[in-house]
Amino acid sequence: MAPPAATAAPSVPPSLSLPPSQFARLQPHAYLLGHLSPPSASNQPSIRANGRAPSQFRVTSANAGSLTHTNGSAVVRIGDTAAVCGVRAELLHTEDIASWSVSQASGSNKRRRLADLGEKPTEEDEDEDPEEDRAHIEDLNLLVPNLSLSTGCAPGFIPGAAPSALAQSLSHQILSLLHSTRLVRADDLRVWYQPPNLGPEELERHNDEEQMDVDAEQSATAEEKPREIKAFWVLYIDIMIISLAGNPFDAAWAAVLAALRDTKLPKAWWDVDNETIVCSDSVADARKLSLRGLPVASSYGVFEADAAAGWRANVIPDAVEENAQAQKDKKGSPERWILADPDGYEEGLIQERACVVIDKEKDGKTTIVKMEKNGGWTVDTEDLRQLVEMSARRWDEMKRILEQC
Amino acid sequence: MMADRRRINGPPGGTRPAVFASNLQSGTSATDRAQRQRQPSELRKIFLKTGLIPTASGSSYLEFEPSASLAAARANPKSLIPPSSALKLACTVHGPKPLPRSAAFSPNLVLTTHIKYAPFAARQRKGHIRDASERDLGVHLETALRGAIIAERWPKSGLDITITILEAEDDRWWGSAPDSHDASWGMMNVLAGCITAASAAIADAHIDCLDLVAGGVAALVSDDSASTSTVAPKLMLDTDPAEHRSILSACVVAYMPARDEITELWLKGDSSKASLEDGDDRTGHEALIDGAVDAARGAHAVLAEAVRESLLKTVGQA
Repeated sequence: MAPPAATAAPSVPPSLSLPPSQFARLQPHAYLLGHLSPPSASNQPSIRANGRAPSQFRVTSANAGSLTHTNGSAVVRIGDTAAVCGVRAELLHTEDIASWSVSQASGSNKRRRLADLGEKPTEEDEDEDPEEDRAHIEDLNLLVPNLSLSTGCAPGFIPGAAPSALAQSLSHQILSLLHSTRLVRADDLRVWYQPPNLGPEELERHNDEEQMDVDAEQSATAEEKPREIKAFWVLYIDIMIISLAGNPFDAAWAAVLAALRDTKLPKAWWDVDNETIVCSDSVADARKLSLRGLPVASSYGVFEADAAAGWRANVIPDAVEENAQAQKDKKGSPERWILADPDGYEEGLIQERACVVIDKEKDGKTTIVKMEKNGGWTVDTEDLRQLVEMSARRWDEMKRILEQC
Repeated sequence: MMADRRRINGPPGGTRPAVFASNLQSGTSATDRAQRQRQPSELRKIFLKTGLIPTASGSSYLEFEPSASLAAARANPKSLIPPSSALKLACTVHGPKPLPRSAAFSPNLVLTTHIKYAPFAARQRKGHIRDASERDLGVHLETALRGAIIAERWPKSGLDITITILEAEDDRWWGSAPDSHDASWGMMNVLAGCITAASAAIADAHIDCLDLVAGGVAALVSDDSASTSTVAPKLMLDTDPAEHRSILSACVVAYMPARDEITELWLKGDSSKASLEDGDDRTGHEALIDGAVDAARGAHAVLAEAVRESLLKTVGQA
């Protein structure tokens, strides 16, 4: 990093005899500004202190499936930021859910109807009841992401202490993104059981129990007992940020995505004799999750030349009119830069941030899954449109990386 | 117990790990048990690299070579149950940095060590809060390193060493039933790895040491089925507990070859029944310690190579 910085810092006054690395520490704002706004005479492009163009993301690599004790795992490195994600699946028996019998009674009609059709909702079944899908995943907490920064990833995070505010916020952002993208299908997580058709006297007793049901339903149960959900898979998604050098969210989300794409759930069934769920350890029986789409997160930071420019001047109107005019003239030059994928050094100088999560459909149509912008007011609608375009390009790149791993 | 409000908790009723059908029916275990393919004195290869985490003053990443059975299972996956696992850990060193104002005066470098398993590191899911065994490992690691660091050179300073274990070693083969010889044998391998990795990270942080301290493990194992009592246990170096029927005794040392000094010694189990070669009149525990030191010498060679690489890199940058 040091040699290009030395050549590309022409705004440093010649009298200053500090080496660039020290200048970067003492005057970080002026240092980055010097890189981004080279004098017009030098004909140099605007480039960041780390040698990247403002819209350039860091080199990203992903590797999946290297951890032995997980159902799915991935390591994602974005520049010097590294995230390891491991997915562990455990079973939640419906008998362990306190409110299960109640909630099931309310939704039983729907489930019966599914059973009457006599077929499992297939993977392509997009019109699967979204409300039930959401209810199962969100209300039963089937996805449990937790991000840990207490790994010595950066100074300032005390290992062994409770998760920092940043770690808690990142965990919640990942959880809400998992919910809002509906990435994981509830049907992949359900373990069904088809009770065998028993003798007629058994059926009669069964019907007696359900006297309160309407007649139509009674006849339906008489033909075939409805399938019932015996358990759910709960995915514990743990993300360890091994090295933190800015932009932890993009790395963590990419790691979650890669790990979920790698996740294999064993075939599970209700064992009547043991009264428990039993799984097959055969790899051939296991199936991968069928995820909905491939939402890719891209984060941006806005670096302002004059951080105080946004402050309204408190002046007597007449006295400084020409001064204000001069200010207005200056505004013509770009005084802020939108930096893609800010590193740790840049993050310290950034007030305004934006995060765009993009997915693309098969026909190439871009959908915005999530858009977040906070901390300032310099990014306008036109800029946001550009950010979406940049994120769409990033999506293509990430798709290639994730498909290779 | 109160729920941890700073983390996302799973279903309040708790979840159960998957039970595999092949575990319920007994009898399958004898055939596909993991077997040690190495010679008794042959060590596993170690991958050790320093300087991967730029925000830390020193860092290292260590990985043990997967056992033959695990490598085979990876190359040709049939079962979802891994036959064994190989240690993977990341170590960071932050410091030396000034002690907080509230801390008492110390003429020496104050060393703090944290070892934490990732929740997905072991066969059983680990909690987010450090448990007693992890704290115990931290204390063992601290004693091992304290003897190697020249602490007088940094008065009033602190050094934080943090190790994240991404994949731990098993305590026994997954299929065997718990028996009387059970103990947390895997933890000893983990400690040996932690010592070697921490030593590399400390060197990467340019902290003065007497020597590079390396960790090594040796164990007395009896692999013969049934007739455990008649056949005396054999001495093996760098044991993977998943590959042995029962481990009677194990020893981990932190060893500095230049001074021929052991900074940490941890011996567990009954070492009295060791069968050594004829003419070897060492007692069981002496043989164990010698074995562990030999293993540490092997690790030291890897360590020295990694540190040399790290040094060349810094020289190249300057």
